[in-house]
Amino acid sequence: MFSNTREGLALALPAAIFALLLFILPVGILLSEAFQSDAGWTLSGYTDFFSKPLNQTVFLRTLKLGVLVAGTAAVIGYAAAFSISNLSPVARGRVFGLVILPLMISPVARTYAWIVILGRTGIVNDALVGLGLADTPIRLLFTETAVFLGLLQLFMPLMIISLLSAMENIPRDVIPAARVLGANWFQVFFRVILPLTKEGLVVGGTLVFTGALTAYITPAILGGSKVLMLETLLYQQVNVSNDFVSASVIAMILIIMSFTANLLLKRIATARK
Amino acid sequence: MKNLTSWAIIGLTLIFLIGPFIIIIFAGASAGESLAFPPDGLSLRWYLKVFTIESFRQSFVLSMGLAIFGTLAALLLGIPAAYALNRYELPGAETIRTVVASPIIVPGIIVGLALLRYMVIPLDVTVTVALFMAHTALVLPYAVRVVSSSLNNLRSDMEEAAVLLGCTRLQAFTKVVLPNIRGGVLAAFILGFVTSFNQVPVSLFLSGPGVRTLPIDMLAYMEITYDPSVAALSALLAFMSLAIVFIAERLLGFSRYV
Repeated sequence: MFSNTREGLALALPAAIFALLLFILPVGILLSEAFQSDAGWTLSGYTDFFSKPLNQTVFLRTLKLGVLVAGTAAVIGYAAAFSISNLSPVARGRVFGLVILPLMISPVARTYAWIVILGRTGIVNDALVGLGLADTPIRLLFTETAVFLGLLQLFMPLMIISLLSAMENIPRDVIPAARVLGANWFQVFFRVILPLTKEGLVVGGTLVFTGALTAYITPAILGGSKVLMLETLLYQQVNVSNDFVSASVIAMILIIMSFTANLLLKRIATARK
Repeated sequence: MKNLTSWAIIGLTLIFLIGPFIIIIFAGASAGESLAFPPDGLSLRWYLKVFTIESFRQSFVLSMGLAIFGTLAALLLGIPAAYALNRYELPGAETIRTVVASPIIVPGIIVGLALLRYMVIPLDVTVTVALFMAHTALVLPYAVRVVSSSLNNLRSDMEEAAVLLGCTRLQAFTKVVLPNIRGGVLAAFILGFVTSFNQVPVSLFLSGPGVRTLPIDMLAYMEITYDPSVAALSALLAFMSLAIVFIAERLLGFSRYV
């Protein structure tokens, strides 16, 4: 540790000032915009925003999809992470590589694939019509299901990674021990695995939930204007309606959610040390 | 039996995660006019056509430039900051850390909008400059974090010894510290590059005539046509990212920094 404070500040401050001027200041002004009116400070931006049915729908839909995606990712994530953690070290490394591989690919590319799968002439519709289950192609794109699938595929690796690292902390013998002592798999999961991995679940859940909440590309491509989420609504408010007060309200909602999630993650990280 | 169930679960999960990517590769290799899977015959025509689309070429150059220079700028700001936060007792270190990390917490679309409203329009800054600033800010938290973690692993008595032996602080940094954190810096560069290159929300509002990042250009192109060229381009870009990460992993065990 060096104690020359002036030298240290000279090194650290350029980055901090850059972030402050280019980031915190403009975002702060944007957030304050909803509170200003000709008559001074006001909350009417917020009350107006939440009084519109469309905005309520979009707000609730965004939360709902966030919870559904995080919940489903947790269920599949536990099954996958548990299976992966039982593999031999070499196989585990390879499968782990395949799980994180999608994270390096552009979200545009990953979302675009779902158009091929769910489109009018996509794989699913071809199969449905071919098998005689549907007379004409059904609309799968621009539905909540499409957005749900896209988000799930986008963020599931984060859940699996978090759960896998939590499972490393389960002592090897506790599960066989619980089994020998008469616990069924249901009990093993809820009494042994879950308590020992709940930190990983919270970390993964928070990452997936905030990821889904603040996603733009997936709802834009797979939901369009039929299935708006908060980010696509924000884009529309600015580019179509020129409504910067609503945009500012949405920005505030997104930042509060993201900030809370980050506080939670930070607390878990410090509790661990 | 238990093994079989395990592999079935892993297999299904991997199909869900990677299957769409494989579909994209083949959909882009279609010989037909429209996007379909299975493709109507195989050909490389769409993979080749991508290179002849002028707007893709322009936006590719812009995205490359932003990713390279934005990340370099973030490292120029981030390395000294990470060093100071690790090695000096600073007043308000926690505040500085939070401020520098803030771009990770604020959703990108908000940053783009804020910069457009309060920098590009009132200060008459060009969109390209705003994009450069935004991408630098976006990569800064990663640069600080990755470089910090590699500084953490480097004992500070080495540079103290160098100073005692007559180096100036700067020489101690360039001759002792920098060579030792080279891997971390390179990892930060790669992580920053991939993050910046694939970034959409920040750049959404920051586009002007002839100035669009590649992912934004692809989104715009998708709205006009459904031909397989976007699939082909997506596959090419994915291969590029994977190649970079693969080489990085081979050279320096990239994954331990992320």
